[in-house]
Amino acid sequence: MRALGIFLFALAAGCAGVKETPPAVKSPAEPLVVVPPPAAVAQPPAAPLQPASKDEAVKTEPVVSAAPPESKSQSVKPAPPPVKAPAKAPVPAVATEPPRKSESPPAVAKAQEPPLDVATLTARLRDTKAIGTFTKLALKNQVDDLLKQFRAHYASGRKASIDSLRQPYNMLILKVLSLLQDSDPALARTISASREAIWSILADPEKFNSLT
Amino acid sequence: MIARIRVYALIIPLATLFAGPAPAAEDVTLLKDLTSVILLLGLPCGQVVRAKRQADNDHVATCKSGHRYRVFVNAEGRVVAQKQ
Repeated sequence: MRALGIFLFALAAGCAGVKETPPAVKSPAEPLVVVPPPAAVAQPPAAPLQPASKDEAVKTEPVVSAAPPESKSQSVKPAPPPVKAPAKAPVPAVATEPPRKSESPPAVAKAQEPPLDVATLTARLRDTKAIGTFTKLALKNQVDDLLKQFRAHYASGRKASIDSLRQPYNMLILKVLSLLQDSDPALARTISASREAIWSILADPEKFNSLT
Repeated sequence: MIARIRVYALIIPLATLFAGPAPAAEDVTLLKDLTSVILLLGLPCGQVVRAKRQADNDHVATCKSGHRYRVFVNAEGRVVAQKQ
């Protein structure tokens, strides 16, 4: 009976230990504070995307040519801020720490992957295992709804109010990021970095029409 | 007699321990999926704690907050969460 008791106790202790592992898994998601950088990096992705969309058949060339400028421009841009930021404003100790964390991961991630276009984004979302079937379908519905809004906007001939679609676009991107940041942080980072590039496609009637 | 009792004492707790986790592992994925869908649709839920399958792509999800939703794919291929 003692042996049985000890055995069951050991089993229970083992089971109790398993539950503590998931919280440790959550910690890697924290680096996704990367969300803010896209705003700062907003300008770089927009420029390189134009050559990519022009020659879709020759994707490899633009990608190769587009990637280096990004990595250069990004590596050049992020470098000064960290040096300047601590020097100019050493007061917020908390503010100085996040930039350091967000600098290295994005630099690596962006150097690896060029900004996504809508088709690539769709494919990556379809392939990821981070979100379930229902969620993917719901997400697809919402993407389609947004594309319909753009289509309706361009069909109506209004050019001034394209910015009115910026908010729903941002909301959708945030939803996607919130879904991916825990389970597929790499894709979340890529999408976050491609936010402006995708918007530049959607906001340009010609690119949008060629897309659809 | 005592030997039998000992055997049952061993079997019953072990069966209880190992019978539970297998279906639970599958459930976790579904519950997470349903939670994401409900949140994506902008409905209050928090976290789905229980799901009952009614048909293919048709579940009744019970949220931690007490809300219940029927989550299904309608004829147009849209994911719908109907409050119940």
